[in-house]
Amino acid sequence: MVLLGGPLGISLAPYIVKNPGLHRFIKPWANMFINASGYRKVGLRYDDLISEEREDVQKALSRLPDKESYDRVYRMRRAFQCDTMRRLLPKDQWTKPEEDVRYLTPYIREVEKEDTERAEWDAMDVKAVRKPLTA
Amino acid sequence: MLAAVRSPCRRAASKAALRTRSFATSVNAAGLRVAAFDNGQPSASVTFLVKAGTRHESKAGVAHFLKNFAFKNTANRSALRIARETELYGGILSSSLGREHLALTAEFLKGDEAYFVDLLSEVVTSTRFSRHEFMESVLPSVQAESSEASHNPVLTALDVAHSLAFRKGLGSSLVASPAGPVITEEDVKAYAHSTFTKSGLSVFGTGIDSATLAKLVEKSLSSLASSGSSASASATKYFGGESRVLLESHGPQTIFIGYGSASAVTPELQVLAAHLTNTPSIKWSEGAVSTFSNMPHGASVQTVLLPYSDATLFGFLIQAPTSETVHQAGKSVVAALKDVSGSFKGDALKRAIAKAKMSSAAALETRQGLLDAISLDSNTTLESAFTGIEKVSAQTAGSAASSLTKSKPVYVAVGDVHSLPHADELGL
Repeated sequence: MVLLGGPLGISLAPYIVKNPGLHRFIKPWANMFINASGYRKVGLRYDDLISEEREDVQKALSRLPDKESYDRVYRMRRAFQCDTMRRLLPKDQWTKPEEDVRYLTPYIREVEKEDTERAEWDAMDVKAVRKPLTA
Repeated sequence: MLAAVRSPCRRAASKAALRTRSFATSVNAAGLRVAAFDNGQPSASVTFLVKAGTRHESKAGVAHFLKNFAFKNTANRSALRIARETELYGGILSSSLGREHLALTAEFLKGDEAYFVDLLSEVVTSTRFSRHEFMESVLPSVQAESSEASHNPVLTALDVAHSLAFRKGLGSSLVASPAGPVITEEDVKAYAHSTFTKSGLSVFGTGIDSATLAKLVEKSLSSLASSGSSASASATKYFGGESRVLLESHGPQTIFIGYGSASAVTPELQVLAAHLTNTPSIKWSEGAVSTFSNMPHGASVQTVLLPYSDATLFGFLIQAPTSETVHQAGKSVVAALKDVSGSFKGDALKRAIAKAKMSSAAALETRQGLLDAISLDSNTTLESAFTGIEKVSAQTAGSAASSLTKSKPVYVAVGDVHSLPHADELGL
């Protein structure tokens, strides 16, 4: 899937978080959306949903620490199992809001930054020419 | 007439000597040692020489990883930016590892020194040692280099010879072994922190004015810690011993015969090395002047004299297509070594002295040679080296040889160990 705005897609979150009034207004709706999408009920985290069929995300995944990587696979297998059984996890195993951390996003951002830098260097425009040697 | 021809050489020599000597005295206010050598060459170079060679390493192989971590992401520059900017300037960056020092070198056009000194300082002070770079580029390059080295009989022989001769410290292998301890980016970072210090760093420039270099270095290295925790290396001891390594039985067969001492190189040894050599001064004239009698055809004998700050390894690398040839050549070398005082007189002595003087003078002509001289940290100038070599007599050289051969030899056989000779079979 080709996403606009890089591997993470377009997000208005940074602007919303900056404005406390707007943030307070949006937050309950966001929680409702999370609840309706139901990924926490099968034990997943939000970053498990990021489309991984891209080179940059694959690279970010390869940079995850071993423990994070194993845990991700475990969560996914558990979610597939839930899907096959047409059942949700028992409520005490749902992902708690404080557990739903963006463990992959920093790595994706890092790869994205590297890719942008490479693209910039590939299309650079050298303006500063060395001053002629005096004497 | 001869004197007239010689005098310009003498002048040039004393000039070089003066410049080499300036190294020892130019410790600047910030505690950094800076030396520069400018004889009008068209390009310039700056080398950061750090006491981070394998003899200082805390965990076997960590120095090799540190060498390959050079010019990776730093606090302000990414590895890509370092590469692309260097390309824009037409510069060349390299890092090389020795048993005593790690050298980070930038070669560039004159006029770009401010950029490159700043770059090297940044590499030394703020490399990030990130985990993903370690896994993605440093580890594969280290693995490739160590597998290449482990298939090279000469490198293997010298590595094993060092470990037999000096065991710890100088005996550590130059390359990280896949069978060695597991090394992580944290180990490399800790090693860099303990070795990248003002007291362990010397800066050496060629084609650059000493005052300019000192000013640039002082500006960009002010944040460097003045001394680390593990800067001191333990004193070297000489042991000796025999070892055999099975490697590529079908390739060239290699043996190393050598002796070491726990003292810096002496003029006597330099003259001995110049005397006991099979390399002709004129190509294709093998055998015209050779110290070794009964040297079989097809054998190559390389005289090795490796000086370190507190030790020396002197020996012969013998290579030939078959084990029988190596056996014969080894016997001839051992015989020559035992009979040094017999063969070493008259013309042979004059020849050896002239050769030793030439090689020590020619070494100061290349950047690498100057760097080696500086890394030994010696205050000897070319002038004093010459007088030292000229003082060598057949007697002193003979006694140096006999005191050397009295100690236990280092013997390494690399190749088809089933047919290669043992040390006692060669008369060692």
